[in-house]
Amino acid sequence: MLRTLALAAIILVGLSCLAAQAQTQAQTRQQVLQYLEAGRLPDAIAMGEKAVSRWPDDPEIRHWLGLAYFKSGQLEPAREQLERARDLNKQEPGARFDLALVCLSQQDYSAAADELQDVVKLTPSNPLAHVLLGRSYLNSNRSVPAIDEFKTALRLDPAIRLGHYHLGFAYASLGRNDEAIAEYRTELQRSGEHPEVVYELGHSLLEAGKHEEAVGYLQRASELTAQNPDIWYNLGKAQVLAGRAAQAEASLRRAMELNPHDPSPHYQLARALEKLGRVEAARSERERFAELKRAQPATSGMATGRDHK
Amino acid sequence: MIVIMRMLRGTFWATIFVVALIGTLRLTSSAQTAPRKKKPTATSKVGAEVPATNSKDLFVDVTRAAGIDFRLTCGSKEKLYVVETQCGGAAAFDYDNDGWMDILVVDGSTLEDYRAGKCHPPRLYRNQHDGTFIDVSAKSGLNFCGWGYGVAVGDFDNDGWEDVYITGFHGSALYRNNHDGTFSDVTAKAGVANADSWGTSAAFGDYDNDGNLDLYIANYVDVDINYLPKFGDGPFCQYRGIPVNCGPRGLKGSRDRLYHNNGDGTFTDVTEKLGIDPESYYGLGVEWLDYDKDGCLDLYVADDSSPSLLYHNNCKGGFTEIGAEAGVAYSSDGREQAGMGVDAADYDRDGWPDIVKTNFSDDTNNLYHNDRNGEFTDVAGAAGIGAISIPFLGFGAKFLDFDNDGWPDLFIANGHVDPQVEGQAFGVGYAERPFLFHNSKNGKFEEIGERAGPALRRKYVGRAALTADFWNRGREDLLMTNLDGSPVLLRNEAPMPGHWLRIKTVGTKSNRDGFGARVEITADGSTRYSEVRAGSSFESSSDPRLHFGLGSATHVDAGVIRWPSGQVDKFGPEAADQELVIEEGRGVIQRRSATKAKR
Repeated sequence: MLRTLALAAIILVGLSCLAAQAQTQAQTRQQVLQYLEAGRLPDAIAMGEKAVSRWPDDPEIRHWLGLAYFKSGQLEPAREQLERARDLNKQEPGARFDLALVCLSQQDYSAAADELQDVVKLTPSNPLAHVLLGRSYLNSNRSVPAIDEFKTALRLDPAIRLGHYHLGFAYASLGRNDEAIAEYRTELQRSGEHPEVVYELGHSLLEAGKHEEAVGYLQRASELTAQNPDIWYNLGKAQVLAGRAAQAEASLRRAMELNPHDPSPHYQLARALEKLGRVEAARSERERFAELKRAQPATSGMATGRDHK
Repeated sequence: MIVIMRMLRGTFWATIFVVALIGTLRLTSSAQTAPRKKKPTATSKVGAEVPATNSKDLFVDVTRAAGIDFRLTCGSKEKLYVVETQCGGAAAFDYDNDGWMDILVVDGSTLEDYRAGKCHPPRLYRNQHDGTFIDVSAKSGLNFCGWGYGVAVGDFDNDGWEDVYITGFHGSALYRNNHDGTFSDVTAKAGVANADSWGTSAAFGDYDNDGNLDLYIANYVDVDINYLPKFGDGPFCQYRGIPVNCGPRGLKGSRDRLYHNNGDGTFTDVTEKLGIDPESYYGLGVEWLDYDKDGCLDLYVADDSSPSLLYHNNCKGGFTEIGAEAGVAYSSDGREQAGMGVDAADYDRDGWPDIVKTNFSDDTNNLYHNDRNGEFTDVAGAAGIGAISIPFLGFGAKFLDFDNDGWPDLFIANGHVDPQVEGQAFGVGYAERPFLFHNSKNGKFEEIGERAGPALRRKYVGRAALTADFWNRGREDLLMTNLDGSPVLLRNEAPMPGHWLRIKTVGTKSNRDGFGARVEITADGSTRYSEVRAGSSFESSSDPRLHFGLGSATHVDAGVIRWPSGQVDKFGPEAADQELVIEEGRGVIQRRSATKAKR
């Protein structure tokens, strides 16, 4: 009898210990999450690190710890924790999704695409996952499937923020400027005057040879984002092509101030100055252009004309 | 907690993240995938004056039916080395002076065959006037043995018979026409071996107007065939992160050559003397043109991954290279491009020749509009030929008026250099369909290739592209070569084409071909301008007879030829739909009507 009672007591104590431990584990998860939510990232990290050493197979704690690292800018440990969290619970899409965000931040687009492909399999109705997968494809040079992902995202959520912008960008990467322009216009109607959308619309109009309209949007983009040299450059280029060489000079000189190492504004300015009849000044700009080009070593086997400025 | 988790990884956190990342993603993406362009949608309307394409194909592949059975050899299928990527020269010319365009196709080789000395001679097909061609290579004497690339055609000795220059890897050859259907190799005597250089495109033109055709050869890279750079090894052997054949960057460039014709069957290398290509850029496309209409031939050279060159002829026997000043050296952003093929025509009928240049994928082709003040403006975007070319790698380029409406249209052969791009979801293919741009007469073009019949919808690894009226019907046909495959002979079947006039020039004081002659004709109150040449595009030589579409005009009111010698000959009025043979100083000496050739 006594033996039985003792055994029962031991079992009860054990169970209560287990329950306490489970409660402690759950409470710890909750606490890490609260810290994370409150932006107390050092606290979240400190508690999370202790917790993962105590409960190394808890995917949620690793997930929150990974997010805390990520939000504090520590990408490598964030990725490590999120990869462990993913491996501990392969059917849970959250850790994969956040791992993909880390990969995107590290510009590891192929890895991000791998994670997001699994996320959209697990949660096919998540429009943001499709947007991010599209961007991962686009940034790893897979424009064709990127378009499919953006279209899927827009079908799932027609109001998804910047969905048309991303789709437009993918079209533009394949030279489909008319479709890109249409998407950018839609995005502007839906999201208001987002600086990037205004710029990309202006840029696509410029590439499509609609110079006057391009000037308008690029002018507005330069007002919205005055410190971006590429906007000033493209504004200057559009102005040259629209026959406004005098206005172009100011835009191109602003681009030079913001990025003194870029040869392109000097090339463009030389063209503008030629049109203005300032031959010597044009020659000087061409010389500066040549100097800057010499300072830029080739990095690939073949020239593809221009990176997107 | 689930709600919070969703918030964290769902709408709130990810949205903030996505928005914050936009700039970074945009810049990174663009660095890899490059620009933006415009492409007419599949549903875009056919212009009122675009030939109806539903009822009949514009071009029909008649290669096999015509008896062309050639298959181009150019190294391995994998294209492990740069020497395996640029073959495919072709020419249309009348080698036997029977008034019909014959066909010459240049073969390449393989590393094994080249090292072993095994020959892959070019193939010459004689036009049988019935729609077919017969292989006459064996007795032609065109026994080029090496790794062939391009071809130039011109009557260098002014005997009235076309001669042939074939470019090759570390050795090119000049063949003199013997007037009996055969040729003799006169390379050594002429002194135009282009020794130790890899020649690609070449073209004849009389730059000093002494009545003798000079010869320009674009040379590409300087590599040792026994020590080729290893596939995929290093930053110059990558494309979008995948290993590919190396170059041209990272490899030493080969200096182009200009040979001056001494008029006695010999040439003098004037490359150094005239300051030609001092930086040894990677030369691929060549065209003589008189862009400033001063009566002295200028020269445009498309260079791969380096600035393209425009040599302005000072009419005193010398050149000044002005590519950058003129706006034709770089992209519109001042970046080097991978220039491949070139052609020139007055596409907007303002009386001045404009230039088209093809480039690598991830880039746009150029349409340099001649601003008539020594400068050009790249209007490819506005003209509708730029953006569409981004996923395509262009090689041969030829203006032609396929519907005879009087406005030059444009054909472009596409095909990548890296088979490894296939299946990568880049949106870029190895084999690619060619482009057929129809001139909309308002400074713009519409790409109609996909509606022009199955032959133009098919994908090829296109290289050379040339035009010729192979059947003397008053229609411009096309020939395109295809890497590791058969050339494609495209018979023009555009329904209800307009009237036309063809002019064959015969120089007397000027070079016998009349290359460099500037011709203007006036019909229906408007004037068309063109220049006589054969060499252009990529490794190609086209029908040298000038073809003018006349639209509804049934006659030409007047014409004028300004010969390189300075002689000016006027002619007209002349009926449409005939070929005029015009001799310098004598005017029209012969009239030939269109032939109803058998198909």
